[in-house]
Amino acid sequence: MKALDLEGLTIGEIAPLIRKKQISPLELTRRYLERIKTLNPVLNAYLAMTEEGALAAAKRAEREITKGNYRGPLHGIPFSIKDNIAVKGATTTAGSKILSDWVPDFDATVVERLKEAGAVILGKTNMHEWAKGSNSINPFYGTSRNPWDTTRVPGGSSGGSAVAVAAGLCLASLGTDSAGSVRNPASLCGTVGLKPTLGRVSSFGGVAGTGGYTVNHFGVFTRTVKDCALVLGHIAGHDPKDPLSSDEPVPNYTKPIGKPVKGMKIGIIKGYFEQSLVGEVRRAFEEALRMLKALGMKTQEVTIPHMDLVPALQAASTRPEANSDHDHYLRTRPRDYSPGLLYSLIAGLLIPAPVYVTAQRVRRLLCQEFDTAFEKVQVIVAPTLFSTAPTIEECNRGYIEADGQRINLQDRAGNFLTRYTIPFNVTGLPTISICCGFSSSGLPIGMQISAPPFQEGTVFQVADAYEKVAEWYKRNPQL
Amino acid sequence: MKDAVRRLNVEYGFNLSDQEIDLVAKQAEEAALLFQPLFEVDITDITPLTKIDKRIKKTVTRKKGKK
Repeated sequence: MKALDLEGLTIGEIAPLIRKKQISPLELTRRYLERIKTLNPVLNAYLAMTEEGALAAAKRAEREITKGNYRGPLHGIPFSIKDNIAVKGATTTAGSKILSDWVPDFDATVVERLKEAGAVILGKTNMHEWAKGSNSINPFYGTSRNPWDTTRVPGGSSGGSAVAVAAGLCLASLGTDSAGSVRNPASLCGTVGLKPTLGRVSSFGGVAGTGGYTVNHFGVFTRTVKDCALVLGHIAGHDPKDPLSSDEPVPNYTKPIGKPVKGMKIGIIKGYFEQSLVGEVRRAFEEALRMLKALGMKTQEVTIPHMDLVPALQAASTRPEANSDHDHYLRTRPRDYSPGLLYSLIAGLLIPAPVYVTAQRVRRLLCQEFDTAFEKVQVIVAPTLFSTAPTIEECNRGYIEADGQRINLQDRAGNFLTRYTIPFNVTGLPTISICCGFSSSGLPIGMQISAPPFQEGTVFQVADAYEKVAEWYKRNPQL
Repeated sequence: MKDAVRRLNVEYGFNLSDQEIDLVAKQAEEAALLFQPLFEVDITDITPLTKIDKRIKKTVTRKKGKK
């Protein structure tokens, strides 16, 4: 096997070598398992390893490829899976005490599809308790650490997945995103994170109570946009086991990769994405816009009249939906939730039904407003978060200080770390977060690119064009 | 709101302390304030969003007097 540096490795680079039998999937898997053993005690990215299954899958891949039965670009590729997605035979805790010993006897549809493509599942990644938070400080399983600065959080709730990809502990990971839980950690860890259109990817096998029904999306973490397109192509599509999954045909998502973006229009929503925006993030975002313009794209301001209602819509949708799943455990094991989550769930029981229904009606209005905006532009671009990764200490005390200001991480309208990501949850729009620069202290900064429903291809086209000129993905954390 | 939390406390058997009841009630009050503006939006003839389509379908406006 060729000498291989796992840091910074991409599926796009390794897959052709596996196909040509220059890289052994078994050796590759062993290398990842060794690296995880070395780094996981510090990073806490993985909660459980599926070593036996991973080695068996890698051996099978090697056997098949040797015989000339190459299944495609995910054959022999090591993945990790967020711990709220069922993997047959692997403990799936959802970051909770309540499910600490639950071992599913089935695979989530996305896992089934990865296995059919020949992927190797290395293990389950750490996350915020029940996916109800955005820093991955977990009272039961410990905090996942940001690989760019281990005193900082990786974001969440899919924090472990982002850490695993950023730190070279797998080539790709699957997570879930009901308020930004893929894009937020992707931004804070400097990876690519995609939340596809609502219904584009089956949610069957997701742990109930870890995301609302109308705002939750399964998503993908990778190092590059092309890798992300490859993975989405394998997991997208209708699933009879998930009635909310869409029957829209699945296109070849790698086709728009490399296509020029000249003449395409970028929509900028003024106001909403400027709330408490930290100077360094603003500058990186503006520089990214300049690079997109240099590629021939044009910018245009777009107006979403009811944008200010987004936090209310998000809370009014997710909280009653979550309560519907948690009712049984609230009655039987209330003290097995962390106190903060318990209080929030109890408060959720007091949301009147008309609030929920009214929110769903206003959501249609909001979606129509985005639809109107997309008549003028092909994509909407915004920062992913207002700041870079906060420290664990800052999260515990509840605020950060930046640009001479104190910014609370939680306000009446909810969690401020998800304020910029939730517009794309309540609208279900396909949205990617890609790295758009680094702060002076070396922390990654993320940018979101969003497109009309089911136009993930457009998202990939613009994100790839930017990534190729910016080349931030070539930077690796020093571990 | 505190009374509502106390009722839930009994119904669900949470065993919340008075301090915890205050905390939850405060959260519920803040949420109620957050949701208030949703009721100020004109959503006449707009149906709930339950699924995302390629284009978000506008609700067909009914003519007055017809159901």
